[in-house]
Amino acid sequence: MGDMLLQLDGISKSFVSNKVLDAVSAEFEKGKCYAVVGENGAGKSTLMKIIGGIYRPDAGKVFFEGKEIHFFSASDAIAAGISIVYQELSLAGNLSVAQNIFCHREFVNGLGFINWNRLYLEAEKIFEQMGLKIDTRKKVGKLSVGMQQTIEIGKALSLKSKLIIMDEPTSALSEKEVDHLYEIITLLKHRGVTVIFISHKLTEVFRIAERIIVLRDGVLVGSEETARITREEVIRLMVGRHITDLFPEKGASRGEVVFEAKNMSRKGVFSGISFALMEREILGFAGLVGAGRSEVARAIFGADKMNVGELVLRGKRMRIRNPRDAIRQGICYLTEDRKSLGLFLTMKVKSNIVAAALGRFVTRMGFYRQRKIKQQSMSFVRAMEIRPFDDEINVMSLSGGNQQKTLLAKWLCAEPKLLIADEPTRGVDVGAKAKIHKDLRVLAESGVGVIVISSELPEILGLCDRVAIFREGTISAILENRNLGQEEVMRHATK
Amino acid sequence: MANTGTAQTGARTFFKGISRSRESGLFLIIIAAFLLLALLKGNIFLSLKNFEGITTGITYDLLMAAGMTVVLILWGIDLSVGAVLALTSVITAMLLRAGVSIPLSVALGLLCSLGAGALNGFCVSRLKIAPFIVTLAVMSVARGIALVLSSGYFLSGLPEGYTHISEGTFIGLPMPYFVVLFVLVVLHLLLKNWKFLNQAFYVGTNPQSAVLSGINANLVTFVGYLISSLMAGIAAIFMSSKLAMGFSQFGQLAELRAIAAAVIGGASFTGGSGSILGATLGVILIAIISNGFVLLNGSPNWQQAVSGIILLVAVGVDAIRRRREGRE
Amino acid sequence: MSDMSTTTDRSLRGRIFFPLLRAVGIQNFCLIVIIVLVFGGMSLFVVNFFSPANFEVLVMGFIFEAIMALGMTLVIIAGGIDLSVSAVLGFSAIMIAFFFKARFPIALALGCTFLIAACIGLFNAWMTNILRVHPFIATLAMMLTIRGLALAISNGENVTSDFPNQFLFLGQGRVFGLPFPIVLFIVLAVVIGVLLKHHRYFQQVYFIGDNPRAARLSGIRVESFIYVIFMLSSLLACTSGVLTASLYDNASNSYGINSELRVITAVALGGTSIVKGGTGTIFGTVLGIIFMSIVYNAFVMAGINPYYETIVIGSILLIAVFLVEFVRKLETRIQ
Repeated sequence: MGDMLLQLDGISKSFVSNKVLDAVSAEFEKGKCYAVVGENGAGKSTLMKIIGGIYRPDAGKVFFEGKEIHFFSASDAIAAGISIVYQELSLAGNLSVAQNIFCHREFVNGLGFINWNRLYLEAEKIFEQMGLKIDTRKKVGKLSVGMQQTIEIGKALSLKSKLIIMDEPTSALSEKEVDHLYEIITLLKHRGVTVIFISHKLTEVFRIAERIIVLRDGVLVGSEETARITREEVIRLMVGRHITDLFPEKGASRGEVVFEAKNMSRKGVFSGISFALMEREILGFAGLVGAGRSEVARAIFGADKMNVGELVLRGKRMRIRNPRDAIRQGICYLTEDRKSLGLFLTMKVKSNIVAAALGRFVTRMGFYRQRKIKQQSMSFVRAMEIRPFDDEINVMSLSGGNQQKTLLAKWLCAEPKLLIADEPTRGVDVGAKAKIHKDLRVLAESGVGVIVISSELPEILGLCDRVAIFREGTISAILENRNLGQEEVMRHATK
Repeated sequence: MANTGTAQTGARTFFKGISRSRESGLFLIIIAAFLLLALLKGNIFLSLKNFEGITTGITYDLLMAAGMTVVLILWGIDLSVGAVLALTSVITAMLLRAGVSIPLSVALGLLCSLGAGALNGFCVSRLKIAPFIVTLAVMSVARGIALVLSSGYFLSGLPEGYTHISEGTFIGLPMPYFVVLFVLVVLHLLLKNWKFLNQAFYVGTNPQSAVLSGINANLVTFVGYLISSLMAGIAAIFMSSKLAMGFSQFGQLAELRAIAAAVIGGASFTGGSGSILGATLGVILIAIISNGFVLLNGSPNWQQAVSGIILLVAVGVDAIRRRREGRE
Repeated sequence: MSDMSTTTDRSLRGRIFFPLLRAVGIQNFCLIVIIVLVFGGMSLFVVNFFSPANFEVLVMGFIFEAIMALGMTLVIIAGGIDLSVSAVLGFSAIMIAFFFKARFPIALALGCTFLIAACIGLFNAWMTNILRVHPFIATLAMMLTIRGLALAISNGENVTSDFPNQFLFLGQGRVFGLPFPIVLFIVLAVVIGVLLKHHRYFQQVYFIGDNPRAARLSGIRVESFIYVIFMLSSLLACTSGVLTASLYDNASNSYGINSELRVITAVALGGTSIVKGGTGTIFGTVLGIIFMSIVYNAFVMAGINPYYETIVIGSILLIAVFLVEFVRKLETRIQ
């Protein structure tokens, strides 16, 4: 039994009239790793930000190292020994590793001039503590995302943090970088540092955390050792009900060929990509981050070029030079990043839904048929359960799950013959996930070709009939999803 | 949201709508300023001559503010409109003095302004250079060419038929007003209801999403800058016709007045919003305030300072408004 | 025999070429090459180009923009821009002339003028920080306003007044054989350059320009720094204005018109990215200044119509910015 590092006692927080946290109490020991899980809007981020000094609680107390603390800013928390590593990294790309580590705390002489040698040396020492050897003179912007994250952790260490909070630390990492992160977290634990991380990925939670804390609608509904709880129980706590049908029934029969890709190649990115997609089946693209799945999708969609390759949709050879061509011929691509690449956040739900199909709602001279637009958009809102059921509000005010549904609605409105959905349920709560999976299956059953790209193996295996496994720019295997296990998929994805 | 719809609620929502709407707010401010000036300097302010002065001035600003609105919606900016106005006036004047027929001179002059717009549009949409840099550079280039071609002189001695363009009347009112009104109405309707131009809102809100939604962002952007420069060109024709000369110093600071008016009218520097009606009201408001200031003070040297202060206030108020909206 | 000379050549290239390239970066290296070429070319074709008298004319022709470029560099690195510098220049010249007309002692006149300029800078920063107006718009509006105020206050005429002789030294005097403005610029460039590269407080600008949110989280007082930066920019512009008035023994409200364009071009040429903050060096800006001075001087020496100036400067700006962004995208694509 280690001593208590952090104690939360009855923490409550509201934003305007919206109660985000309701009397949350929890304890965190030194040198242990905790995971905080919950649906979107459950209050995880807010809780972490209160611990990190960015927000102040409306009620309740926070005890750090036995003493009650009141943080007025992130700097206060950092000074006390609490650091947060955000999803959007907080580094200055044009400056060196050492400068980033010691930002605002550089070693200076009496007049304030930086002692460069000492700066680089001390930075190297920090990384030695983590068992790494890094050239601290290198500019941070030139390093990989995984490396940048390691540097942020190094920065937290150099600030003598006793508690490091990480927000979705693995969402942008490759498999190898994730393993690397685990090693570092293990090292941190050995040095007595407590780690709390927020994650949507239950596989990782179970792998690395010793204790799981579940929040639902601002209330702490569960706190248990990971060894003593199952995945299903965690999901039930998160959602409040049994989700046995996260994935709909797979397709029974299969029809003729809907889409064929022949020998797609793009120098340095992917090569020899060939596959066929049948009617009524969902094909999955699995593989590590960076294996080329999204790049292939973008090439099919015309958003990126390819050097060679032939695309055949329902027997007709496609000539696609840009997304406009693709959409006109029936190929749609639901992008990975809905906020910056898919939606128009400051525009209405209605405007977003018709955005890719504007040509369907105009007269011959090109003027809008407003009534038809309203009809279609409301019908999609109802069918896809986009809450609140109002298409005149800004998409920005919707939750992540509803935003994703709006994005899917946009592509369905474009009446695709082939839909490639890239990470269709990323950052989406479990309830919305189930709905999106169901909609994709219904789409496939109606004769539209559906390809799903996902980094969550359970999603691939639960949703897809066949899986194309990518490895370093090629397809290493296309397997039927009959008793297909995660290990087998990973085997083809790595080797 | 439940639809209660009793008569009382209906009236309340109507007034709430009016007070919330930006355009109505502007309209009220304009009325207020108008009444204030009528009270203070009624005899001069309400004279026909003063009115003519104001209205002639705003015809040019109205056109350029409308064009600027389109560009702002596209998340761009066009600093070259004033210079393009000057250049068009110089070129048209030169052609007329060389004996070229009036229709042809006007056509070539407008073509030249379209050329500037094409250059702006090309550099912004294809070369992906920041709009303010591109239009800043084109502004200096255009101004420079106008200077070189005219050697800095007024280019007068234009044929009589040309000055008729701005003098010709239609139901007792000068032609320019009708043309400007027509242009504004058409632009407003197109922006709202014509798919091609309406796509500008999508492009300005999120260019990448727009491309990935199949919108031809490059073309829409290009056309946006064409429109802006064309507006400046049309203004140039009217100005050179009214003043019977082409001059390389025309349109000084016109771009800033256009920006101020567009922003007051609801356009944002981060794209995705703007309204022709709002910009029109913005122009009228600025014109009345400037006129008022000059009347109250008497010195024309203060015109520029007043424009600057109005722009500052407009920008500041807009920023505050956006912050408050962002919080909701 | 030929073998030996090639080995010597190769080692020379290895010893000078590559280390220099690595030290200053691709952008600056290209700029140095272009400057040397243009300089060489001008020396051959234009008589008297390579003479101390012409050097002085060359440098003095751009010195006021040069001083402002130092401040502009810092503002642009911080992620902002200051379009009001040209207006502050003109306004300061008018102001100090008025103060001397009112028979203020030199120290008081200078003090008041600089104070006013500092206030303008503070106002620019206030609009950026508190009102959250984009610096481009805020300083553009400020430029219009200050120019207008200068025009209004001076009633459109030049302000001639009896500048005291000691004051005239600032613009017309010489130190170590060089005109005072040039010496002042050298001192300012060295001081600001060293501070920017090695002093902890000024290094903050790179953090703020690259990622203001992260900078704030690290405890950097972003807002107060922005105030300092804009004040510095206005103060340097004021310096240029005061020197101009001193040099010409006259104050006209047309001083500095369009100079903000030339200043930004010089900074952009030096490799500072206008589009994305967090990059840039004083050294690069100095190279940009040298290039612009040569171009300027070339106009005068070759007797080219000054009206062409705006065309050329505008085009250079376009090309400069395009190149900077192109190189930046190239670098990100390489790794």
